[in-house]
Amino acid sequence: MPAGADIEAVISVLGDRAVAADPALAAALDLRRGGAVDLPRLEVASHAPRKLAIIAASDRAVAPLVATASRSGWRTVSGSAESTDPLAMSSILLDAGVSAILVGAGDPPAADERRAVGEMAALVAAVAGRRPELVIVLAGGMGDHLEAFGDLSRRPGEVLLGPAAHRGILGGPLADLLIELALPPDDAHRALGAGALALAEVLDRRVDIVEIGFDAGTRVGATPGVGGGPPAVDLAVVPTAALAPADPDDLVIDRVGLWSTWGADRHRLRDRLRELRVAPWADATGDGVTLRMAAARAALGRLAEWTPEWDERRPADLVVATGGAWAVAPAQAVALALVDVLRRPGVGQFALDHARILAPLGSIPDADERRAMVADLVDDLLVPLGTFVVPAGLRVGRSAGSVVVRGATGDTQHDLVPGGLILADLPPGNAAIAEFKFRDTVSLGTRGRHFAIDVTGGLGGLVVDLRDVPLRLPDRADLRGELLDAWQASVMNGRDR
Amino acid sequence: MSETDLRLVPTRRLIVAPVDALFALRPGDRPLVSAGDSVVVGAPIAERLRDPRLDESEVNVADDPRPGERWTGEPRRDEEAVPGGELMFEWHGHWRVASGDIADSVESPFAGIVRDVRPGTGITIRAAGRGIRGIVALGGPTRGRLQVGAVGELKSGGLDVGSAGAILVVGSRVDAETLTRARAMGVCGVVVAGLSSKERRDYLASESRQRAALHRLPPFAVLVLDGATRRPLAGAVQAVLGALAGHEVAIVIDPPMLVFDMPNLVIPAPPPDLVRIRAGALSGREGRFIRAIGPRRFPGGVHLEAGIVHLPDGMDAAIPLGDLERFV
Repeated sequence: MPAGADIEAVISVLGDRAVAADPALAAALDLRRGGAVDLPRLEVASHAPRKLAIIAASDRAVAPLVATASRSGWRTVSGSAESTDPLAMSSILLDAGVSAILVGAGDPPAADERRAVGEMAALVAAVAGRRPELVIVLAGGMGDHLEAFGDLSRRPGEVLLGPAAHRGILGGPLADLLIELALPPDDAHRALGAGALALAEVLDRRVDIVEIGFDAGTRVGATPGVGGGPPAVDLAVVPTAALAPADPDDLVIDRVGLWSTWGADRHRLRDRLRELRVAPWADATGDGVTLRMAAARAALGRLAEWTPEWDERRPADLVVATGGAWAVAPAQAVALALVDVLRRPGVGQFALDHARILAPLGSIPDADERRAMVADLVDDLLVPLGTFVVPAGLRVGRSAGSVVVRGATGDTQHDLVPGGLILADLPPGNAAIAEFKFRDTVSLGTRGRHFAIDVTGGLGGLVVDLRDVPLRLPDRADLRGELLDAWQASVMNGRDR
Repeated sequence: MSETDLRLVPTRRLIVAPVDALFALRPGDRPLVSAGDSVVVGAPIAERLRDPRLDESEVNVADDPRPGERWTGEPRRDEEAVPGGELMFEWHGHWRVASGDIADSVESPFAGIVRDVRPGTGITIRAAGRGIRGIVALGGPTRGRLQVGAVGELKSGGLDVGSAGAILVVGSRVDAETLTRARAMGVCGVVVAGLSSKERRDYLASESRQRAALHRLPPFAVLVLDGATRRPLAGAVQAVLGALAGHEVAIVIDPPMLVFDMPNLVIPAPPPDLVRIRAGALSGREGRFIRAIGPRRFPGGVHLEAGIVHLPDGMDAAIPLGDLERFV
């Protein structure tokens, strides 16, 4: 159902459909036609990201602060004493759209910071006095200037001390603090973390979640506890990875254009992206699907750029896509979009949170209750998109070997031709063994020539992706469009596009 | 038509009330009103500095100076100008003061009550009246007599000098050349359904060149009601604009809105089943919503919730619910 529809009407219609689909179950649950509106509700909503003004003494110091905040649920605007004069910096901080200020320095401040931190603290303290509702975070060495902010107990907005940000370390305690400040506990992006962890524990597998939504993209890595150890979850909420940013710059447009088969110039593409922003549920057929998937791939690319540490981890056992961007696209197209952008050599299973229920489940406060709920729904929670096998290190121009898929209905053999996609039909719920024989050594998580891999089916079946890692696309738009169309046709396997 | 089915169609508010408009201020700008003040149309509410700068000044501590306050110093010997400005922050016993030489007056385009004044941040005024919300407004706050123009695209040659002082409703789309010519001819504003990104960029570049030349720009704003592609104004909006024709209205930037103060204007509610198609092959057309038909398969291999819409030419079309909107 599109956003903007009346929620009571949506619940009523969906309830009636459930009654019609399984009257016996409805009777057991005492659910009648029109009765769904009276059921208890669990409500979760995503919130528009707020703006964080970030300042530091030097450009070098401001960069890691921006990198940390940008993946912690904040839209950012920044300046440094090195390149921004105090008047412009005051303008940034006094802007009506700013909800919080992060001012940081090394701990202890580096030589190039020491001269400016005192004046910067005086400037921020003056703004804090004028806008007492602002939350102020003093990170690293800036904490030494806390007394400049006077009596904190009389201030409605908090003044908090945070750890210093470090170049190359994007997550950690400062990111956790900023997420806590950015998003309320019932926010859908934030709840995805707890939802992913519950799913990882129930499946006992490492789970990654990628969400592309209207206001932000979210990436979660959840690992169940091993050998009595604690489970782990890493959450990044990146507002710049929203499906259609409010004011798309040339970089955003070019990136969407790179994935577009539509052949539009920058201006028309920008117009369409603005329309997508204004009415995200409209224009979701025909050309609109192509545009949406190009925008989703571009957003996924931005999400991956702000979360580079994921590339250094072992690939997850299961990657789950969720969010509005994927809600109105064919399942096979979603799987291809994921593997186009999040390319890593290895074997990965992909699934779709088709009902977008992981976030509501994650918002259940009690962890045991949350796990119980996920365990109860786990068979229906996800739509399996299929298994993707992505070898790296193939030589171009000749057959790389062959694969035999041994399934319940018999064996099928395919020649492995580098540069393309091979689709083996493997419906959801079916399992098979794929035996690969490569001519040369390739990387498939580990290096080797012969592999036997357990694979499971999905709406996209088993896809052997023999394209480059990372993906290389032609510079010419027409050639690129043809290639993207051909890949799409491969995975759709003759289905309506 | 079932009422529940109709409620599945996304809604859009035709008229918004109350309207709280924010007039942004930068450091150094001088507010001329206080919270609780009544302002009339055209009342100066602030002085905006063209080129603010930050000076270092010695401020008498006995005056208990605080950031954000106005400060006026003693003129230096042989100088007539009195130093002064907005106190920003103190550092090493000296105050940084935001000031400038040339200031432009900011006038309220509507009557209302001042809700909040924050030097350096903005002035919020609650308008005495109602508004029609747009998606973006470019330029600055303005007011004028509403003049409803031709349906469709307005070209620069179609502008008439008699439109000086008016806010023009130009229909589906307008180009940057027409906008700059309209501003030069004394038109106060333009209301349009769609403004493409290229025209938007070209117009903003023209405006920024004018500002760089230190001209004081006449108040002019472009209010975009729908989006970036060509489509006619919604019938319900056209009806309200038609009723407002010839009367004074205002355009504000934050939020983007057309504000009018006509308490006696009766705005008839649009028929409850009237829906507008905002995307797809039938974009811009309006019809009667018949019923919701559940998920349907559409080009592109997607399954979307859909409804049947009866169009004025007698055709019934299955349209994704996401492509529809109705005004409430």
